[in-house]
Amino acid sequence: MSSTPSVSVTATPSPAGLTGVGVYDVINGSRAKAADNVPRGRLTMSGVCKSFRGSPTAVLDNVALEMHPGEFVVVVGPSGCGKTTLLNIAAGMARPDRGHVALDGRPIEGPGPDRAMVFQDHALFPWLNVSQNISFGLRMAGFSRAERDEHVEVALRMVHLQGSARKLPHELSGGMKQRVAIARALVMNPSLLLMDEPFAALDAQTRTLMHEQLQELWLQTRKSILFVTHSVGEAVRLADRIIVLSAHPGRIRREIRVDLAHPRRFDSPDISELARQVRKEIEDEVNRVNAQATVDFWKPEPPADMGGPAGLLGDGI
Amino acid sequence: MAFRLIGWREYLFPAPSTIGRSFVDMLSLSPAFGGRPMLWAPLVSLVRLIVGFAISMAVGGLLGLAMWRFAALDRFLGPLFLGFQTLPSVCWVPLGILLFGINERGILFVLVMGSAFAVAIALRDGLSVIPPLYQRAGLMLGARGWRMYRYVLLPASMPALAGSLRQGFSFAWRSLMGAELLFHAVRWHGLGFLLQAGRDYSDVAQVVAVMIVMIGIGMAADRFGFARLQERVQARFGLV
Repeated sequence: MSSTPSVSVTATPSPAGLTGVGVYDVINGSRAKAADNVPRGRLTMSGVCKSFRGSPTAVLDNVALEMHPGEFVVVVGPSGCGKTTLLNIAAGMARPDRGHVALDGRPIEGPGPDRAMVFQDHALFPWLNVSQNISFGLRMAGFSRAERDEHVEVALRMVHLQGSARKLPHELSGGMKQRVAIARALVMNPSLLLMDEPFAALDAQTRTLMHEQLQELWLQTRKSILFVTHSVGEAVRLADRIIVLSAHPGRIRREIRVDLAHPRRFDSPDISELARQVRKEIEDEVNRVNAQATVDFWKPEPPADMGGPAGLLGDGI
Repeated sequence: MAFRLIGWREYLFPAPSTIGRSFVDMLSLSPAFGGRPMLWAPLVSLVRLIVGFAISMAVGGLLGLAMWRFAALDRFLGPLFLGFQTLPSVCWVPLGILLFGINERGILFVLVMGSAFAVAIALRDGLSVIPPLYQRAGLMLGARGWRMYRYVLLPASMPALAGSLRQGFSFAWRSLMGAELLFHAVRWHGLGFLLQAGRDYSDVAQVVAVMIVMIGIGMAADRFGFARLQERVQARFGLV
């Protein structure tokens, strides 16, 4: 490691120095010094189609998306609209039937540490403690123990979990687990952070807290984030740009740019007004989907012995 | 006391004191046993068990891994192996004698056949209950090829694996005892031989004493070895 003396992680241990985590380029496992001044995280998707066997309509139909480096894009839509599939394609876990997907000009061909993912169910390894979980990716990339320890310490501080380094995942609360998962993703210094409904399983208070912390982290690290959720409140609070997907087939129904300053308060009037608009957009979409599904909606016959007016109830006693 | 009151005949069912004497005999030097104490026998059995169980784990482990990886192989071998498990392990003895002769390899053959398939089935089941999420997380973090097996799949299958090791061990121990009972004309005499010898000399006390030793070793290995391993794994995973 003597060839890369400017390990700014140790030089700037303050939380504000977190962008310094990115001195190594761990894509392809190379330890070449990454050019920090070149912004990374430009995701381009064009003409992406995906359908699953046995399903008549496409999950994704001709979806095009361009993310700028450092942009926070939130994808919302009714359930089953292909939000998660879109994320999986960006992660390289699923391959599109047609279309082109690339990150910083490189076509995406499989999962890799340059596109770190935070899963809904945290997906921490239960046999590893918190710091081992965070350092797992670095270990796979061949970092030495000392290097890993440095990075893990910074990452722990980043998500305010210094005191829990030796704890096992099952000893943590839901919010803490998700913070470990975020630290585990960020420590890889990814170009793009993918988040699949990461806070859906948390209680409301914890979720609000997590929103604050995620905004804080994003402002510090300026990673590109592609975030999937079904919560409109979450979307308007976090996003630079909201993408509303329609279902059956999954298409981009509308894009909404959010030009409000970060960090945002969830109860500000601007946010509420925006949330109302987006919610309406999604409700229309949900209604459209439901209208399709309820064409021949089955209604139970009222039972014959309960057909009488309510006033007669109890007469037989 | 109860024994004396009921009045069983000594040559049919030994008094506890007689069994105790038999234990003492086992500890003393026995001319019939090549001048060594009969305590040698459990050691011989244990060495066989360790060697055999190691082979069994290697063979069963590879088979289980292959079955998990290739569904076609599993469809073919899975039912076959389950069928093998219904076969009492002593039924492998004639085949072992014909293939290897009455020697150590024959005994190991019976032991391995008696336990490897159980290990294979258990490992396959252990791997197949791993949440796919762990594999996805591993891929995302760059665990490819052998690293996926070593750092994700192996530890993730530990809860199931610990249970299957426990079961595989008891299969192995039972197979070994059965094999030793029938392969008694080999150079090194194990516990099974002692049991058979007790029968041959109508020494009921020795038969019972050897059985107690067999049960004791099996229980000790389970209680202090495999059960403890299983408990530790479960505690680590937060499953208890």
